[in-house]
Amino acid sequence: MNAVWENDTIRLTLEGRIDSGNSADVESEIIEAIGDRTPGSVALDAERLEYISSAGLRIILRLRKRYPSLKVMNLSAEVYEVFEMTGFTEMMEVSKAYRVVSIEGCEEIGRGANGSIYRIDKDNVVKVYNNPDALEDIQHEREVARLALILGIPTAISYDVVRVGDSYGSVFEMLNAESFSKILATEPDKFEWCVEEYVDMLKRIHDTAVPAGKLPDMRETVISWAEFMQDYLPEGPAKKLLAMVEAVPHDDHMIHGDYHTKNLELQDDEVLLIDMDTLAVGNPVFELGSMFNAYVGFSELDHEIIKKFQGFDFETASRFWRRTLECYLGTTDDDVIRSVEDKARIIGYTRLIRRSIRRGGLEDPARKAEIDHWTEELIELLGKTDTLLFERNSSGDKRRDELDIEAVEENLSEVIAFVDKKLEAVGCSMKSQMQIDLAVEEIFVNIAKYAYNPDKGRAIVRVEVSEEPIQVKITFIDHGKPYDPLAKDDPDISLSADDRPIGGLGIFMAKQSMDDISYEYKDGSNILTLTKNI
Amino acid sequence: MLDIKKNQDGSKLELSLSGRLDTITAPQLEEEIKAEIDGITELVFDFTDLAYVSSAGLRVLLSAQKSMNEKGSMVVRNVSEEIQEIFDVTGFSDILTIE
Repeated sequence: MNAVWENDTIRLTLEGRIDSGNSADVESEIIEAIGDRTPGSVALDAERLEYISSAGLRIILRLRKRYPSLKVMNLSAEVYEVFEMTGFTEMMEVSKAYRVVSIEGCEEIGRGANGSIYRIDKDNVVKVYNNPDALEDIQHEREVARLALILGIPTAISYDVVRVGDSYGSVFEMLNAESFSKILATEPDKFEWCVEEYVDMLKRIHDTAVPAGKLPDMRETVISWAEFMQDYLPEGPAKKLLAMVEAVPHDDHMIHGDYHTKNLELQDDEVLLIDMDTLAVGNPVFELGSMFNAYVGFSELDHEIIKKFQGFDFETASRFWRRTLECYLGTTDDDVIRSVEDKARIIGYTRLIRRSIRRGGLEDPARKAEIDHWTEELIELLGKTDTLLFERNSSGDKRRDELDIEAVEENLSEVIAFVDKKLEAVGCSMKSQMQIDLAVEEIFVNIAKYAYNPDKGRAIVRVEVSEEPIQVKITFIDHGKPYDPLAKDDPDISLSADDRPIGGLGIFMAKQSMDDISYEYKDGSNILTLTKNI
Repeated sequence: MLDIKKNQDGSKLELSLSGRLDTITAPQLEEEIKAEIDGITELVFDFTDLAYVSSAGLRVLLSAQKSMNEKGSMVVRNVSEEIQEIFDVTGFSDILTIE
């Protein structure tokens, strides 16, 4: 057996098979190799271990009792499975051998603070970490991604860790996904759609409460930036900066930390958030600060930077940032938007200045000029801003969505699925869901049958959910013949089977199952609105 | 999606429905009944696995009830609480024989 001491760590190589025939020998060989020394840690290198039986596992258990720091590394996938099935992976440190992946010639599809993401084949991407000793980072990212998923944020979780050159990477399954940066760069007519989806996800993140202690607190991080700045700003602004950051209350809602369009992916029809390693909790202003940098701050002085990084130009980036603020804040009031942007810029510039100084920026004339510019801006902003807090317009908090679909009966299932998805997201009971489905079916089928008959046309189905109390409002809009389905008399439900006409029940049922139904004809559209408290 | 299981025993026909009985699937049930109803005097619906009935479904049930009133009996079994409520609201509880 090959045994190598490195300081107080011993690395022993296991080879071939360990079963009842040789396990006793292997055990005594290991004990002999360690001898009288007390090892700081014992590593069993299993790269060339082909098979281990239960007799072999038993000696590992005994050795672990004797040397509590024992770990097994470089296991092949097959042998790792044995360790996993028997629960050994939970009990001690057991790590797999890493597959080697090359990213030569691969498209870079995303980039975050701690690594870049490449597509390695049609179905898989790999995130390569900047830090060569990234195993802990990978573990962290995997944990926070899992947490985010459990809390309802759609994200990808890596299924394998690989070696990429001298660094590590984690592999994600991502089928035909496209980043929002690419969509913005190549399909300008989807700009508004991108803003909507991007803001929807942003709100979803910021509305997600995180159990205490699960994620780092961004407030503490930003306080440390403000403390750093004490030596680089005049006393007045420096103190004000720190006081304003300290005045931001603790917030247990999630922030992504690096939320830009390269980290949002469209996979089929699903929007996925990626690059989760910066996930934290904190006030949304901290998020807006890093978003300002991503679209404006980093490339304000050199517009080519954004082009290289995001693939779209500075004008698009600025417009996207502005529209994002409008949608996120639920207002187009220029004063409100500017005041919130100022708060974001304070956080953004603070971060840029600190980052550049720490990387030796003061010693380089070109970068010193950048630092001076940011500092000047920051001092001016600090002069006219008194708080970092802001409010999101409550109407911006409504989860709203709409489906624009051809009004034909065959599309009923799609309409119901669309509505149900919204209802499930707010935890609607099965019973309320069925009642809403009933009304939705009646109204949609009515439009499909009559609105455009004998031609065909489209209908818009809009679902809005407002909270406290949870109220669902579903609006149907069609541009067909004016027709008020509510005008019809209710059927006589006391008649016997033989006397009852077949049909005529649908609208009545819809009325019964909703809290309110209203109809209006406006600007050439039939508008029917269903409301239900759930 | 609607799945219809048939079980015929002489002049008794039992139809077990699972899934949703709505605008899309009701015609399927209607045709099934039309094809099988000749010579049937006892029609039984089992709703154990039926999750949803819309007015289109009620139409088919009403027309089946009308046919069976002329030639025998019709029974609906194992109705969930939610569907029972639909029957109550629409007066179908008084028309159908629900066991």
